[in-house]
Amino acid sequence: MSVDIYKINPEFRDIMPKEILDLEDNATWEGEKRGINDLTDKKEILEEHSLCAGCPEAAALRYILASLPTPSETVIVNSTGCTSLMFPHIALHTVHSLFGNQNAVASGIKRVLDWRFPDKTKDVVVLAGDGATIDIGLDYTLQSFFRQEKITTICFDNEVYANTGGQESGSTPKGQVFKMAPKGKVFDKVPMWELAVTSGVQYSVKLTASAPKSVAKVVREAILIARELGPTYIHLYTPCILEIGLDANEGLWEMKEQDKDRFVSFKYVSPEAEEYLKNCKKEGIL
Amino acid sequence: MYYVAKVNSEMCSTHKCNMCTLYCPEANTLMYDKEPKHGNSNGTSWVDEDRCKGCAICVYVCSDLLERNCIEMVMVTTEEA
Repeated sequence: MSVDIYKINPEFRDIMPKEILDLEDNATWEGEKRGINDLTDKKEILEEHSLCAGCPEAAALRYILASLPTPSETVIVNSTGCTSLMFPHIALHTVHSLFGNQNAVASGIKRVLDWRFPDKTKDVVVLAGDGATIDIGLDYTLQSFFRQEKITTICFDNEVYANTGGQESGSTPKGQVFKMAPKGKVFDKVPMWELAVTSGVQYSVKLTASAPKSVAKVVREAILIARELGPTYIHLYTPCILEIGLDANEGLWEMKEQDKDRFVSFKYVSPEAEEYLKNCKKEGIL
Repeated sequence: MYYVAKVNSEMCSTHKCNMCTLYCPEANTLMYDKEPKHGNSNGTSWVDEDRCKGCAICVYVCSDLLERNCIEMVMVTTEEA
């Protein structure tokens, strides 16, 4: 895809909505300086969506989209869940297939793009919830790691099946009670960030979305490593404020609390990836 | 009739901050105008009221975390004809 598709025929400018005009006039599409600082005054490639007021997942998606190195050459693969409510509202190629098979679809897309466009750098990024990544799609997630597919997988972990009423997921912490999990979770939270390392990813990070600049840095590093070396994984805590009984303005507080508890920072970088990141810094890409 | 965030631009322009624009969960809703305002060298944040869902995270960031108290929630009503 070329950024040229956002250029509007001059004949139609007077009838186009302001948001569409802004995509051409005031959005950032590429360049080393593209980043999270654009969120203050540039047009974002995310539009109004139907996620709840104060949803941390919505904030996290803003950071991720602002951090994509070249959005016009990026394909997003997503899965069923709250996240899938946002994808019709972003100005990128997105693919939504069956619940859980997102990493298999992304692997295929990445292989075909590399074959079809050998002279271009194409990024494929998976954005899915914990149910799709860790429960229903675990097989596909791990297989993409085993096979060293050059994709970035980002898991929005809200620790619950939120938009179906609150059932426990593999990522729910032990003992947690939800509306549709009244007995409480009986086994521990699945440590997906550690499984990812065991399964061969080049880069695995666990963090919350409480620090926008940290999220942006991790996303950029993960995508750059995936381009050259192999799979990368980001486990991002974005709590469902409704299902854990918080007010709309308490999501950030919750994430800051969990920075010190279940989501204390975890970062694995393979020796090859570490070397590659050093070179990226020298070249000014990072 | 619903709550939206409102920035006190005079107070906001005394800080070089931007933090509310980063933490707002909605896209292009809390923005920053770089043009210097109110005799200060900084610009000010501003809210696109049509897009604000009223979550008040910006108030938490500005008042509770940064103790600057530049944003409050206000009730929006339609203007009388």
